[in-house]
Amino acid sequence: MDLYPFFDWLDTSMLADISKAYGGVFAVVQMFHLLGMSMLGGMVLVGDLRLLNILLKDVPSELVIENTQKWFTIALAIVMTSGIFMSSAVAMKLYYNEMFWAKMTSLGLGITFVYVIRRPLLKFKHDTLNPWTIKLVAVTSISIWFTVAAAGRWIGFS
Amino acid sequence: MLNELLLTFAQWLDTHKWSTDIHESIYMYSWIEATHVLTLMIFLGMLCVIDLRMLGVIFPNVPASKIAERLDKPMMIGLVVMLITGFLLFYAIPVRSTQSIWFRIKVVLLILAAINAFMFRAKMQASSGTWDLDPVPPKRVRMGAAASLLLWSGVVITGRTIAYDWFDCHKQLPHFMYWAAGCVNEMAALEP
Repeated sequence: MDLYPFFDWLDTSMLADISKAYGGVFAVVQMFHLLGMSMLGGMVLVGDLRLLNILLKDVPSELVIENTQKWFTIALAIVMTSGIFMSSAVAMKLYYNEMFWAKMTSLGLGITFVYVIRRPLLKFKHDTLNPWTIKLVAVTSISIWFTVAAAGRWIGFS
Repeated sequence: MLNELLLTFAQWLDTHKWSTDIHESIYMYSWIEATHVLTLMIFLGMLCVIDLRMLGVIFPNVPASKIAERLDKPMMIGLVVMLITGFLLFYAIPVRSTQSIWFRIKVVLLILAAINAFMFRAKMQASSGTWDLDPVPPKRVRMGAAASLLLWSGVVITGRTIAYDWFDCHKQLPHFMYWAAGCVNEMAALEP
């Protein structure tokens, strides 16, 4: 599916008018993007490092996952909302940027992984699951979200 | 006087071959900067979880001291990586960074955040027995956590704005801004 019409629309939308005309507004939104990324990273790391038995070993992993999930969703909402605004400033440039698509692919993969695999799976009592399955989920999760963040940073360099 | 000293120091760093090498390398600067930004997820991510616990909005059923103690190590690892990469970024572009109003505010906020962290930690160790198990800690603890989140957010924000040239010395700025940014030559040019 070619998303060119969407980017073409975004490039001339009201969002783009604001993000292109007001550098200060763009910078403020970008800061929220970074803060959201930090919060998202923290929730992913605390949850996954607990699943790997590295962090908070004396706190039940179900409790850690339950507590971090809610804040993960809040952080994801901040990152995505600010990300769409930031994209509007350079929509057509991003459409032709390979690193942007690497980030979008990994982001889509990450969201699908979290809401379709990780959450439903971790709703079960963790001691009823195969320990290696839990470790695999944690490593996959860290890898995907690291890729999302790294690809995002590299958009600026490419 | 301080502005002149800082500029002299930055100009001395700028003469170093390694400074130029990092600045002019195709990938090295980008790698250092990417590491600096990505480590935010470790340092600020852990700090965020600790401060949210102190605010009483996450892990209400886990003792606050346990969260703070267990996440302290990864947070400090993140901080050390950020400090090393941050110094290298400064070292690569010392003169412009020294004369960046944003960099200067960032350093001040870093110092304030560090002071807040030490005071917060001391207070917490002295009194944690009384509220450690409370789902929502006392107001003074919540204030400290809110200050921590605000100060570190300020550090991230000013760190990001260093890249913008809105108040660089080559721009036409009010005299106060030249002074605040340490634009020594521009201030000298304005003197009668």
